[in-house]
Amino acid sequence: MKILRKLALGAAAVALMASSAQAADIKVGSVGAVTGPIAELVAAIMSGRNLAASHVNAQGGLFKGDTYKLVLGDSACDPKAGVDAGNKVVNVDQVVAIVGASCSGGTAGMVQAVTIPAGVVTISDSATAPSITDLKDNDLVYRVAPSDAYQGAAMAALIRSRGISKVAMTYANDDYNSGIAAVFEREFKALGGTITANQVHEPDKPSYRSELSTLARGNAEALVVFAYYGSSGIAIIKNSLETGLFGEFFAADGMFDDSVIEQIGVANIAGKLSITQSASDPEDVSYKIFAKAFTAGGGNPNAPYVTHAYDASFLMALAIEKAGSADRSKIRAALRAVASAPGEIIRPGEWEKAKALIAAGKDINYEGASGNVDFDKNGDVGGLYTVNTVSADGTWKNTILR
Amino acid sequence: MIELINFYIVPGLVLGSIYGLGAIGLTLTFGILRFANFSHGETMTLGAYFAWSLVSILGWHPLAVMPLAMVLTVVVILGIDRGFYKPFRSSPTIMLVIASFGMMLMIRSVIQFFWGVQVKTILPGIQLPIEIFGLIRISPKHMVIVGSAIVLMSAVYYLLKYTKIGKAMRAMSDSPELARLTGINTEHVIMATWIVGGSLAAAAGVLLALDSHVQTLMGFKLLLPIFAATILGGVGRPHGAVIGGLVIGLAEELSTYPWIGETPLLNPGYKAGVAFAIMVALLIWRPSGLLRGRTT
Repeated sequence: MKILRKLALGAAAVALMASSAQAADIKVGSVGAVTGPIAELVAAIMSGRNLAASHVNAQGGLFKGDTYKLVLGDSACDPKAGVDAGNKVVNVDQVVAIVGASCSGGTAGMVQAVTIPAGVVTISDSATAPSITDLKDNDLVYRVAPSDAYQGAAMAALIRSRGISKVAMTYANDDYNSGIAAVFEREFKALGGTITANQVHEPDKPSYRSELSTLARGNAEALVVFAYYGSSGIAIIKNSLETGLFGEFFAADGMFDDSVIEQIGVANIAGKLSITQSASDPEDVSYKIFAKAFTAGGGNPNAPYVTHAYDASFLMALAIEKAGSADRSKIRAALRAVASAPGEIIRPGEWEKAKALIAAGKDINYEGASGNVDFDKNGDVGGLYTVNTVSADGTWKNTILR
Repeated sequence: MIELINFYIVPGLVLGSIYGLGAIGLTLTFGILRFANFSHGETMTLGAYFAWSLVSILGWHPLAVMPLAMVLTVVVILGIDRGFYKPFRSSPTIMLVIASFGMMLMIRSVIQFFWGVQVKTILPGIQLPIEIFGLIRISPKHMVIVGSAIVLMSAVYYLLKYTKIGKAMRAMSDSPELARLTGINTEHVIMATWIVGGSLAAAAGVLLALDSHVQTLMGFKLLLPIFAATILGGVGRPHGAVIGGLVIGLAEELSTYPWIGETPLLNPGYKAGVAFAIMVALLIWRPSGLLRGRTT
């Protein structure tokens, strides 16, 4: 009896070793601004991406038990760093495809210099500049975050709906902020609003008092700030309040972080700041599944772009599985096939089901936590926005913009 | 006029004081150790992070922990000199410059490793300005910054002018060979240089953190204007560094004042270019700087 058990154990061990010898790592780049002005946001985004990978690996992995492995690259929210990070994962780590990068500038740098020439498919979860749409990308650049062409319009409508007609605006000198600022300016004027002053500013300066003084000349009712919170956004709002030049602020999702409240102080900012943000429909089935899993792991499903991060990472795994092999050139076609109709609907976490359907040669259609992720011809998706305001108790209160 | 003072000259002076403090340390290492120290910005960052930690542990005002942060930074800087720069003492300058570049990246990575990359704040909330003579509106923290800078600069002036080690430092800066022949202990002078430079850099970092926030790239972003201030004042001339810092700080702010018409003279997006333009112009027309320093 004892011998028999030993034998069984031995056989099991051999089987285990055999299978682990066959299983390989399928490497996919996970490029994001781990350091830099939005480091806090990216920490949550990375847990979103990793959650998807753990779902894949817990439910059989890719192909015949291969591990879906995300290889980190730091794009630091900067075009130069984006190129370096892209080079590292594409040429050194030899990844199959890339999830990322984080900021529009970092993404534009990486895809133009590295991934498009190398024929590597990228899905960004947070690059939102309208200019990404027009890149000549051979159908290699995708994003699950909606273009700011939509966010700029949503924000203009929000400001007009509050009865404000005269605003001053300032934007940081980078792809994301100048892109959304241009859209906002056009849309706000189209809705009958007046822009009293519009100025670009250089990020990372210790003080913006002189810029604000010129911006305040036209008696605007509010200041619209397009900036990353860590490089200039917080400083601009602080300086405005200290000098008493502006008392009401609007900003886009690059400013959505708790450190804004912590650094400025709840009492100073409560009720004065509204931030638009690309968000998920809380009533959506896919979102609820994701939110449950993400909360269980200690994350906050309302943090900016975590749903998009999960979707980008999960979609990439589906595309690789559909492609049938870890071949860079096959991912593009497979990605479009798994992301949109026709096919049986797959929701976050349903890897086993998706794997079985792909093995059976059936079509699938991923409906993500961030939305239906049906890519248009430019590789973009549509979006839904919420507005976040600071409550008196120091928390964010969010309302969906319809 | 009042707008010009409150929103352009006062911020310019605040910024200039911080630049000046940073530039003194840079000009001393440039003059005495004979190399452009690229890791100087990171020294400032390190000082700010030490101060942040001390504030969160002790709960004191940032100004109260500033001396402690300066001491801690100096200890680290002396350790770096012992272990890293000492073997390079007789090497060509270019090797030291590149070595300091490497040190810059190393210090930054260590900071990111220990403190993380999140933006931190040393003095949360906002401070409303105080009115003086019903005209000038200046925030208390700005008075603290300018005041601390004046105190520290005076201390350096006294040190260099009246103390034995200060005189030795000036001698080394003017002519290292002669200084050695007269029996000055060069290692002591080098140590004193790192102590003065390191503590002033740490102070500049803390004051900058007081005005804005604590971030891993904060010192590096200041390196260019500080280099410009150093060259403007004349390399090896601490008084020149102070003047250079103030001039660069004021020039950056005033360049965006609407001198003609209603729009800023220079688009604020190009503010950072002002320091660079001044530096390039000086290197072409007056490489010795305002106070006749060593030609660079």
